Parts: sequence; structure tokens; C-alpha cells
Amino acid sequence: MSQQTDRAEQVKRLQRREGWRRRLPLVPALLFTIVVTQVPFILSLWYSLTEWKIVPPEPRNFIGFDNYVDLLDNRFFREAVWTSVWMTVSAVLLSLLLGTLLAILLDRKFFGQGFVRTLLITPFLIMPVVAGLVWKTQVFNSSFGVLNWLLDSLGFERIEFVTRWPLWSIVSVLVWQWTPFMMLIVLAGLQGQDQSVLEAARVDGASSRAMFFQITLPQLRPYLELGILLGSIYLIQVFDYVDVITGGGPDSTNVPYFVFQRSIGGGWQFGQASAYSIVVVIASIVIATFGLRVLSNLLEGEKP
Amino acid sequence: MEVGKKRAVSFLLGLLSWGVALVFFFPIFWMVLNGFKEEIDANTDPKLVFDPTFDRFDEVTSQTQGLLGFREAFMNSVWAVSISTILVLVLAVPAAYALAIRPVAKWRDVLFFFISTKFLPVVAAILPLWIIARELDLLNTRLVLIILYTAMNLPLAVWMLRSFFSEVPKELIEAAQIDGAKLRGQITSVILPIVAPGLAATALLCVIFAWNEFFLAVQLNPVDGSTIPIWVTSNVSTRGNFLAKLSAASTLATLPVVLAGWLAQKRMIRGLSMGAIK
Amino acid sequence: MTRTSRKGWSIRLLLLSLLAVFALVAAACGNDDDSDTSSDAPATAAATAAATAAATEQPAAPVESRSINVAIVGNPQMEDIASLTPSLFTAQTGIEVNYTFLEEQTLREIVTRDVGAGGEQFDVVMIGMFEAPQFGANGWLYDLNDFAADTPEWNVGDIIPAVRGGLSYEGGLYASPFYAESSFVMYRQDVIDAAGLTMPDAPTWDELADIARTIDSDEMAGICLRGKPGWGDLGAAFTTVLNTFGGTWWLANADGSIGAAQVDQPEFREALEFYVALINDAGQDDAANASFNECLSLYQNGQVAMWYDATVAAGILEADDSPVKGLNGFALAPTKVTDASGWLWAWALAIPQNSSDPDTAWEYVSWATSEEYINAAGESLAGGWAAVPPGTRESTYANPNYQAAAQAFAQKTLDAMLAAPIDNPGTTPRPGLPGVQYVGVPEFQDVGTRCTEQFSAAIAGSISVDSALSACQDIASAVSN
Repeated sequence: MSQQTDRAEQVKRLQRREGWRRRLPLVPALLFTIVVTQVPFILSLWYSLTEWKIVPPEPRNFIGFDNYVDLLDNRFFREAVWTSVWMTVSAVLLSLLLGTLLAILLDRKFFGQGFVRTLLITPFLIMPVVAGLVWKTQVFNSSFGVLNWLLDSLGFERIEFVTRWPLWSIVSVLVWQWTPFMMLIVLAGLQGQDQSVLEAARVDGASSRAMFFQITLPQLRPYLELGILLGSIYLIQVFDYVDVITGGGPDSTNVPYFVFQRSIGGGWQFGQASAYSIVVVIASIVIATFGLRVLSNLLEGEKP
Repeated sequence: MEVGKKRAVSFLLGLLSWGVALVFFFPIFWMVLNGFKEEIDANTDPKLVFDPTFDRFDEVTSQTQGLLGFREAFMNSVWAVSISTILVLVLAVPAAYALAIRPVAKWRDVLFFFISTKFLPVVAAILPLWIIARELDLLNTRLVLIILYTAMNLPLAVWMLRSFFSEVPKELIEAAQIDGAKLRGQITSVILPIVAPGLAATALLCVIFAWNEFFLAVQLNPVDGSTIPIWVTSNVSTRGNFLAKLSAASTLATLPVVLAGWLAQKRMIRGLSMGAIK
Repeated sequence: MTRTSRKGWSIRLLLLSLLAVFALVAAACGNDDDSDTSSDAPATAAATAAATAAATEQPAAPVESRSINVAIVGNPQMEDIASLTPSLFTAQTGIEVNYTFLEEQTLREIVTRDVGAGGEQFDVVMIGMFEAPQFGANGWLYDLNDFAADTPEWNVGDIIPAVRGGLSYEGGLYASPFYAESSFVMYRQDVIDAAGLTMPDAPTWDELADIARTIDSDEMAGICLRGKPGWGDLGAAFTTVLNTFGGTWWLANADGSIGAAQVDQPEFREALEFYVALINDAGQDDAANASFNECLSLYQNGQVAMWYDATVAAGILEADDSPVKGLNGFALAPTKVTDASGWLWAWALAIPQNSSDPDTAWEYVSWATSEEYINAAGESLAGGWAAVPPGTRESTYANPNYQAAAQAFAQKTLDAMLAAPIDNPGTTPRPGLPGVQYVGVPEFQDVGTRCTEQFSAAIAGSISVDSALSACQDIASAVSN
């Protein structure tokens, strides 16, 4: 009897030890991430319940959920949310589409293939601040910009891109930078696909269009999803571009820029700004969870 | 006939690729070109013909005592970027192992936690970060950037490496276990060689993101010991023309990462294709 | 087995090549400078110089190395002082100065947080006329009058009174001006003459608008006006117009706090409609994106005939390498119902209370903003006397060298500085501290920036003036008491 419980306990202890042996390699990374990211998060959570300005300096007051109530009827916050949604969705989808087309173009042999690929990936390597400045001052600029010079020499009216279409100006710079990244991912998908299936289909006399839609595209799906996920994570955070290209305004102030303006960008309302960011984090996580579970099998797909 | 048509289509597609690539590359070409101009030639209708000069490059790299110079910023960047990338790999490789090869119980939730930390807008976290850094006397140090760049890239690295690790065939590991290979032996002789291209791809992405990071650097480390992006923007002036100078500075600032990216592009594609999604 | 080791090799090769690339680039770029000096050379030279100076002139001078951190805005004048500091200041005093150059907006963020929330990153900060009295009132800065008694060569009486007033709060002077400006109209004399027009010395906005509309053509816009969002960009230019149109941002409560927002008042609407219409009829292309630099380029390229902006621009337009040198006339800022409307601005050096070494900081501040520095800069700068920081000291304008070099605009600049209505900019009392092109309350930064985003969109035509005004009224009302 007692021997049996002993054995059961031993098994349990062994299992526990095995569990810890499995967990151990995870601990440093997890601990590091928790300390560096969750401590600021918790501080933000606390600030969001206070009224706190530093200019003029006022003592920090605990005000409960007032900051959260405030943001519900702030039309400028709502506008920023919409701008963010538009900016992220259109930039991700457009760069994915373009990237896929380019990857298909590049996945064939032609003269200078490697060189063309090299040219194409370069925008992704450029510093965002530099990309924003270069596009604003040397491409979009209505007096000295290349685009308008082109329009002018073709006999068209000059267009004030940045002020007329602030959102689309930012989106086009984003697409310019992220298309190469999407292209790399899709290119990886194309090169990783199962050649024997394609060969078999070719032998069976399948048209290349049918092959693309029925074999290649389904195989690419996880890669496309990867592109969407990574693109969304990075593009929803876009700040440098807005700052450099438009400096905010209707149709270009996205949520990060809005939060920035409420806090160190001149508003100095740290309590309120923290409340905005908490809402943004929670909303992003909810959407991401939903998106990951519904859209994709990235996390569900295979058995470990 | 059929072959001729195919060849024509193929030729046209090749031409199209070239066209698109040149359009994509043009802004960069233009930036480099403007770096060789006088300010007066850069701030006017686009000019292709001009007297090229290295003066702007001399200007932006000239050292003034007490000012953040190019070499200093460059070395600071190299330090912050390389150490943070090494740290990322050191932390992420075991984590990925624990998530893929001998997965812990709730590995999906753990993975999701890592990714979810990327959703906290940096802009929103900057104040608490600044206060913590102030309390710990970390303002204006390279260390603060190293820590934050590590945290910034770690989720991506864990996530990518986990997919690469799950590419490693189970049979290989089991075989190694039967051979009596110890854990370290397993990792070095079986797993690492297989995930090497993935590691390289991951490291390269970390380098790119860290090298190009501006916001954290300017907020937490603007004084001395600052990095290349800060140096670039120090060439923007609100009183007077700066386009040519900025172009020269931008060219120098982007060069290292661009070269690295060019050299590593094939490996990057291979790394991604071998299992970024499994 | 062989496969494994080959892979291991290729990874090592990749790493090596990456390192090699870094090293190559670093070496290539480093070599440029190596021909001039090794990286330690300036420091050594400075130290030697300091030692010599100490040995010969000032036996009592401290030998231990002192250094201060200075945050300044990235302008040509600031670049000049940074390049002159080692030879003119460090060599004399042994104090090393570490500069941080920041773009205007970033400088504000970092400096405000640093001096306000105790970052202790800087010993000297460059702040504007907007911040100086506010920070002073908050108790964040040293009162420079306390140091001035021991430093007669700094000569506080020489500072232009309006500028000194703008940097003071209740008798305390909280920053020493490095460079100051007002606003006025710059115009192409040749274009005005060719059209058979004359420009009054002190035009009204209606006269100026008529001239602009008359001379506006496809090749050359009538006038360049700021349209870029930002309280210091469009906000500055527009608020001077608003003042002289009799409008205001807020009423003042009896205690000086912010009262009811006045954006919905007819004068405000009239001013904005006037500004937007003038830009649309006779303004530059892409106006909603233009501020000082954009207008400067357009004017130098002959794409605009007139330009209403900071007086400091005159020095650039009349510089030796300027394509429009000698073609320009200058007139006072245009008015409507008030007598004067030019703005007043200064970039000034201040010492935060949390500076680790205020005395050393003061040594630097009193040197950098002294007549002595202006004289030394005039002698040693490539741009010569015309490039010295203007607008701060009466002695600059009395200096024959400066008068000769800046003859085209020196008197006009001084007139504009003296005319700037710092104490009485509009028709109604305003909340907060004095200010012309801004309201001297901290909230103005945020309100001004977000409202000018709306106005800028109205200039671009993407929203109507009506909706810009109503959005701005909402923004401004949120901070009323």
C-alpha cells in the first residue's frame, strides 16, 4: 500500500522534474521579456488611473477610470483609430499583393535575376526615418520632387501628394518598404514548394494557371499568413513615418502618433495618454487572438 | 511558333521585372545622387547633370569635438546592434528549443505571450521606460539600448526560431538520443547545422530592425553614446537647406545594413523557406 | 558528417563576411578623417592648449577636466558655435562641451521632460521664448541675474529689451538669448518694380494681399506663407495674423488662467478665411507642407516674389552664395487693426536646477551669448560677419563690421525687433505669460499643433474652413477653465 503511493509519488516527482527540465531553457527568455515589457506595462496601467501632467507640474492625482470615460467620447481618438485601421490594412494587403506578384516574377530564370532581386529588396533595408525624409523631400515634394517633375514634363498638373492624400502618401512609403519583405517571404514559399507535385501535375497536362491556383497558392497560404501577421505587428506601430512625412493631421494621425501627441509630443497628459495606450494594447491583443485563431493555422496547424 | 511565343512572353516578363526593380530602387539611387550635389543643386528642379562633389560627405563625417560624430555614432550602433543581436540569439535558441523540440505543456500560450508583447506601442511605453531608466541611472548609456533592442527583437526571434526548430526531424533527435548523445551534443551535432540558415536569417532581421531604430534611441540616449539614426537626423536643419547633406548622411547610415542585406539575401530566403511557418 | 561541417563553415563564413563588411565600411569612412587628425588629437590639443593657457595667463585656473552637456537645436548658427567651441572656449577654460543637436520638436520633448521630471541629462539647455518664462515660473531654472553680478563682461544691459523681457518672469531672467528674431516681409524689389507697384514700409495685410494677387503668375507665386502644421510653424505665422485681425485664441479669466475658447468668434474666422484665401489665390504650391525651409528654397529659386517669415531669413537671402543677393526689399510685418504684428522669438540658453555643475554651465552660457563670442564669430566664421547670431544685442547692430556686412537688412531687422508688440499683441487680454505668436500657457503647444493640423488641411483643401474651425474650437475648449 505505502509502497504503491511511494511509487506514484516518485512518478509524479519524475514527471515534475521532467516538466521543469523542459521549461528550464525557456526561463531566461521569458523572465527577460516579462521584466522588460511587463514592468512598464504595469506602470502604464497605474498612470492611466491618475491625472498627471508635468507641464505645468501638478501633483499626480488618483482619478479612477475618468481617463477611460474621457476617451470614449473623444472624436479625435476615434478618428485616429480609423486612420490606424486604414493605414495598417491597406499597407499590409497592398504590400502583400505586390510582393507576391514580384515573387512570382522573380521565381523564373531571366537575365540579371539576382541583380533585380538585389535592387528590389533594398527598400526594406533603409532606415524608416531616412525613407520618410527621402520620399517627402525628394519624391513627393511639389516643387523639387521627382514625381512632380515627371508629371510636369509629361504635361500634367503638379500634384501636392502629401497634403492632398496624406494617408495614401504614408501608405505608399510603407508599401515601398514592406513589399520587399513580403516578396522575400513569398519567394521562400515558392522555392520551398514540393517540386514533385508540380512535376506530376505538369506530366498530367495541367495548365500553368490551374497549377498556380490549385497547387501553388494553397501551398503559399501559410507564407501569406505569416506576411500578414508580421506586417500587421510592425505596421500598426508606425510612428516615424507619420512624424516625418505629415507631422499629423486629419487622415494621417494614427493611434501611436495620437498617443505621442497627448504625452511627450506637447500634451504632457501622461495619465490620459497611458489610458489610450492601454486600450490600444488590449484591443490589439483581442484582435490578434481572434485573427490568429480564426484566420490561420499558424499556431494550431501541426502537432508539436 | 509555340516556343517563340513563350520566349517572347518570357522576355517581356523579364523586362517587366527589370522595370519594376528600377522603379523601386529609384528613390535610393536619387538619394545617393543628391549626396554628391551642392545644396543649391539639390534644392531645385531635379537635376541629373551636375558637378559631383564629395564635399557633403566630408562635411557630415568631419569631427567636431563635443559633437556626435559619424565614427562615434557608427561604433555605438555597432555595439548596440551586435550585442543585442547576440543576446537575442542566446536567449531565443533555448526558448525555441523548449517550444519546438521538447515542447512545454502550454507552448502555444507562451508563444502567444511573446508575440503579444509586440503590441504595446513603444510610443506609449516610453514614459515608464524613461522613468525606470532614470531610476537605474541608465539614461544615455549603450546598455539601455542593448536591453531594449533585445526585448524588441526577442519575440520575433523566438517565433521564427521555433518554426525552424520544428523543422528538425524527430527521428534524428531520437536517433541521437539512442546514440547516447548528451543534450549539448544533440544541439551542436544535430540541431544547429539544420537550423543554421534560419539562425542567420533571424539574426539579419534583428540587425536590420536594431540598426534602423530611431525612437527609443532619441528618447533614451540622445546625449553621447548615441546611434546612427540620431546622427542622421542631426543633419536636418530648420533654418537653411540641408537636402544634399542629409542625403550624404543617409547614404552612409544605410550602407552597412544594405550591404549586409545584399550579401545575405539568398540565405535569408532559404532560411525563411525552410520553415518559417511550421 | 561532412555535410554538417560544411554547413557549419558556411555559417562562420557568413558571420565573417558580415564582420568584414562592417570593418571595411568603418575603415573606409574612418580613413577620411585620419588624414586630418586622429580621434584623440583634438582632445589632446585642447588639453595642451588649456595647460599652456593655465601656465601662462591664469595660474589659478583649475587643471582638473570639467565637462558639461549642452542640448541645442540644429541650426546653422548652432553648428557654428559648436565648431568654434574647442578653439575659443575649451582652450581657454579647460571645460569640455558635449553638444547634443536635436531637431526643434524633439529638443522640446526631451528638454521639457528632462528639466521637468528630473532627468539630469543636461547642464545647459536651449529653450525658446515660449518655454523660458514658463520654466522659470515652475522653478526649474536658475535665475541668471544671480550669476550676472560677477560677470560684468556678459553685460545684461546690452541685450535687446524686448528679448530680455520675453525671457523673464517676475524680474528673474531665466535664459540668455543666443539668437533672436522677429517676422517681416521679404520681397523681390525687381518684381514689384516691374509690376509698377510700390511696397509700403509698413504695409497692411489688405495692401499686401492686393500686391500678392497682382504679381502672382504661373511661374512665380505672389507670396509664400507657412502652411505646415505645428504651433511653431503655421501656428506662429497665423497667430500674428489673428492678433492683428482682432481675434484671439482664448479669453483670460480674472486670475490669468485660460477662459472661453474664441475660435468660434467672427474675428477668428475672418483671419483664417483671409489666410487660406490668400494662399489659395496667390500662395506657393503645396502650401500645406511649407514652413521656413520650403519657403526659403522657393524664394531662392525665384518661385515666389514675397515671403512673410522670420527676420533671420534675410541673412541667408543676402549671403554671398545666395542667387537672390541684392534683389530684396524688406518691410515690417503687415497689420490690420493693431499697430504692429511682428512676432518675437529667441533661442536661448538656460541652466536647469538639476544641472550637476551650474557654475561651469554659467561659464559656458556667459561666453556663448556674449558680445565677445559674436565678435570672435564674426572674425572666424566662413560666412563672415553676416553669419553671426542676430537679434540679441544692441552692440551687434552698433558694430561697424556687422553694419557693413548686413547693411541690406540690419536696420530693418532691428526695427522689426523693436516694433514687436510683446506686451500687447492683440486687442483683448490673453491668458498666461506674454507672447506674440503664441499664447504663453503650456496648453498652447498641444492646442496650437492640433488646430494647425486642421488649418493646414483646410489650406490643402481636404477639409473646409468651417470644419477646421469647429474641430479647433473643440480642441481649444477642452483646456478652458
